[in-house]
Amino acid sequence: MTRKYALFLGCTIPVRANAYEVGTRKIAEKLGLELIDMDGVRCCGSPAMESLDRLTALAVAARAICEAEKMGLNMMTLCNGCAEVLGKANNTLKKDLKLREEINSILSEVGHEFKGAIEVKHLVRVLTEDVGLDAIKTTIRKPFGALRVAVHPGCHMMRPSDVVSFDDPLEPTALRTLVELTGAETVRFPDETECCAASVLAVREDLATEIARKKIAVAVKYADIMVTACPFCYLMYEVSQLTAEEMLKLPVVHYPQLLGLAMGIDYDDLAMGENRIDCSKIKEFQT
Amino acid sequence: MSEKIATTPGKSSKTALVLSETDPGFRKQVEAIEGAERLSLCFQCGTCTADCPVSRQTEEFHPRIIARLAKLGAKNELLGGDALWLCANCYTCYEKCPEDVKLTEIIVALRNLAVREGHVHPAFKAQMELIANKGAVYEVTEIENDLRETLSLPPIPSADAKDLRTIMKKTGFDKLTGIDLESE
Repeated sequence: MTRKYALFLGCTIPVRANAYEVGTRKIAEKLGLELIDMDGVRCCGSPAMESLDRLTALAVAARAICEAEKMGLNMMTLCNGCAEVLGKANNTLKKDLKLREEINSILSEVGHEFKGAIEVKHLVRVLTEDVGLDAIKTTIRKPFGALRVAVHPGCHMMRPSDVVSFDDPLEPTALRTLVELTGAETVRFPDETECCAASVLAVREDLATEIARKKIAVAVKYADIMVTACPFCYLMYEVSQLTAEEMLKLPVVHYPQLLGLAMGIDYDDLAMGENRIDCSKIKEFQT
Repeated sequence: MSEKIATTPGKSSKTALVLSETDPGFRKQVEAIEGAERLSLCFQCGTCTADCPVSRQTEEFHPRIIARLAKLGAKNELLGGDALWLCANCYTCYEKCPEDVKLTEIIVALRNLAVREGHVHPAFKAQMELIANKGAVYEVTEIENDLRETLSLPPIPSADAKDLRTIMKKTGFDKLTGIDLESE
């Protein structure tokens, strides 16, 4: 069965995390997911805009959702920030009809109307809820053995829990389970659900980088690689290592790259060379 | 009762709060904002700060103190200060708070109020100008699309910057935040 989604890339992936998109497109082919590119929209509204003015951020998010509604497709995001912002806007405007009216009066200026016709889901949620673990399992050709993975699901994939309603907000298991499907071992480590601090980066680069670096310094003691499912988390953990005085060298891998390798997709075809911390040792763990 | 209340234990009097300079109506003003209704329920247990990734790294941001200052009506200190902008928006305190105070939402509400008082953090303002004028926080040049071509990826989607500017003008976001919009 083919499932179709409107693919929302957001601001960061097509500029700074292409490999995440490459991996996603490759695994989608194997899983029978048809990803239709969205055009004319690159911003979800962002938690930053919400911080300044909620109404504007909600209107911008709704504007993006309207594009997917016009395509008649559910929307898939690869970014935790987009998933939270768009998911929250979608749920809020589906329920609050008075607010929807207010937003639609703003959107009428740009020829759009929010109808509440679609769902917004993060890739991890699509894999878990729509594709299903059993279906993914049947695609594994070259499983990993003894590869120790530090799983970093990030924050907005499952928090705030009363808005997102996916996974456990403090003991998340969805991404962990998906990693384990590849045959890899997931490790537990202190403060493993702690934030990457990407939202602090623009305000205080030194502080944000130090927060990310501290987590890597712990994770590297337990794991061979770190797996992320958000471009911001990915960049925080990669860049914080590259700018450290003494580099720790914990490869950071986008989840679809890991799954793609386990499916038997070629290392180079998954753009593994784009990851700036050398990931090549990962191949030694494949059986 | 002393007129000064230390807001950061162990810190000098510079960080003390002068009660006569507080705004007694401020707590109610904050609680009127959706998501911030439960501010009064904070009993200063400190769970938020103990698990805050930013507080673990710096003394400059303690969510517990944000809640205390908001309850005490320290409007100018909160809205004009830098601390509000250091929240990582990770929602850890939101999930762990035993009183379900929803502190992350309170901080968002306080930032919204700060903007209305003319305090927009310059980093946020710069991001908003990029979104308004380029359609996203990153401007796209040929370099990005050339790299994507080598990876067999389609060109970066076009942006809807004009729509975003129209939305921002309609909500008054441009005037509110003081961002410069490119002319059409």
